[in-house]
Amino acid sequence: MELTLEELTDRTGLTVLDHLERQVRIPVVDGLQAQGDLIVIPLAVLDDVEVPARARWRPVPPSGVELLRGAAGGNPHTLVAEPGAAEWTTEVRDRQRLAVGVLRATRPAYLIHPEHGGSGIAPGTYLVRRQRERSTQRGQADFLVAD
Amino acid sequence: MSPSSRQRARRRAGTGRHHAAHLDRWHRAAEIRDEWLRAALHTEPADRETAERAITGLYALLGRRRPRFHWAASPWQAVDLLDEPPIRLGGPVDPTAPWHVAHQLADVAHRLAGRLDERAGPAGTFWWTTERIARTRPPADALAAGVSLAELLVVGVRDSLDRSVHDGLRTPLRAALTEAVGEPPGLRWHGQHDAPWVAYHDVRRRLRPGLFHPDDDRQVDLWADIARSCGWWWPREDVCVVTERTGVAHTEALPGALHGEVRTHNRHGPAVGYADGWGGHAWHGTAVPAWVIEEPTVERIGAERNVEVRRCAIERLGWDAYLDQARLALVAEALDPGNPGCRLQLYELPQRVWGTPARVLLAVNGSVERDGHRRRYGLSVPADLDDPVAAAGWSYGLSGEQYARLLRRT
Repeated sequence: MELTLEELTDRTGLTVLDHLERQVRIPVVDGLQAQGDLIVIPLAVLDDVEVPARARWRPVPPSGVELLRGAAGGNPHTLVAEPGAAEWTTEVRDRQRLAVGVLRATRPAYLIHPEHGGSGIAPGTYLVRRQRERSTQRGQADFLVAD
Repeated sequence: MSPSSRQRARRRAGTGRHHAAHLDRWHRAAEIRDEWLRAALHTEPADRETAERAITGLYALLGRRRPRFHWAASPWQAVDLLDEPPIRLGGPVDPTAPWHVAHQLADVAHRLAGRLDERAGPAGTFWWTTERIARTRPPADALAAGVSLAELLVVGVRDSLDRSVHDGLRTPLRAALTEAVGEPPGLRWHGQHDAPWVAYHDVRRRLRPGLFHPDDDRQVDLWADIARSCGWWWPREDVCVVTERTGVAHTEALPGALHGEVRTHNRHGPAVGYADGWGGHAWHGTAVPAWVIEEPTVERIGAERNVEVRRCAIERLGWDAYLDQARLALVAEALDPGNPGCRLQLYELPQRVWGTPARVLLAVNGSVERDGHRRRYGLSVPADLDDPVAAAGWSYGLSGEQYARLLRRT
């Protein structure tokens, strides 16, 4: 069953901005999906990422795990799931150096952002990555996007 | 049922008469809040007599005599009048330092706030359920749904003014001051920009006369007089440097605000400024350096490290003007996978302007802005990418084929 944005914010106590359509159902997707400057990628799609066998997995609490905050300090991307539905680890080797962490879900998990609304993630294992930009200044490395 | 939830159930079952009484008091609170917001945005010259009298009153609380007053046109000029050694953090407080008086005053203010909160009850402790309601529903709905008046005052008065005044007015000024003089001398008060905490206590006592001890009422009066009459001030040994009020303060309503919040914005000059011309700039609520508003150029945008500042500068210039002035040539365009109807456009960035070979990918946000439009934004990508889809993929460390499988973008 797909939740509406209103049901999701009611369940989690998290908020989104008022202009977002609240009655819209949030599709639960098992493929790639982007939420602003974050992207959720099925781990099977990638060959340059490795989760060590000894990685510590932590349950995703219903109150959520804050993955990333925007430039001005507000607008976090928060990962939420029902109790026992998903685990999260930040112990991951990503050759692209863009990994935020890996999600392992047995039931749907959700990403919530005040401006981008909700993203439903189907059971499976996924890498969450940040977005980068090429530096336009000579000699500087690429930098990460913070919207 | 626990005692606390019984209490809450009783409150929710409260009669319509109680609800109407609470709503009346809330309307009164919102009026007082707006009065304080106007004081924070006030652009008339300072009321020097009132400010000096109230500051002298605070010095008297410390057992000190009236200081000499030095008036400055702006915080930027005030800093020039303060010739003091840097404050060491973490070490013992030096009672002979000229700013020791400010330490004492901070202590007095802190203890006052503690006593006022004690008298008024722990309004700051929320139930997560009512906090969500208080923050997301109009005040009348929130009260009807069981939010207490005390909780509503936290959200609708204190937090509302924090957002408008601290985040809105103080942040661009502080950013401009740091840019001009480095870290500004600490231990200052903000006069009209201290409205949020003064207003919060003022609202509570005006709704319930006699709530605070008369001595505390008198002290609140002193802080309130200062907040209504002058700008930032630096209390020091025997001397107090006080700043004029702002000469300009441009704001717009914060879209979707439930409690009258505003954000700073001026596309033609400082959003918050002083009579001497000094001030801080802001673009739709984001504090930005002056050039973003006064003189946005493709060169400066190219050199800017902060993506948020770059976005504001390009929006100030306008994407179309930016693309035209930067003489960017379209390399290719494609539909954005997962973002129906939206195009990815890859532009060449001239090396002579940007200093290094690169291209810019223009994409459209997956979610609508408050004004109902979708924002176009640009990302720099490596110069050897010719395919917009591959460029979008690169930004997430993916190949074009991988990114082409994107199902959804919000």
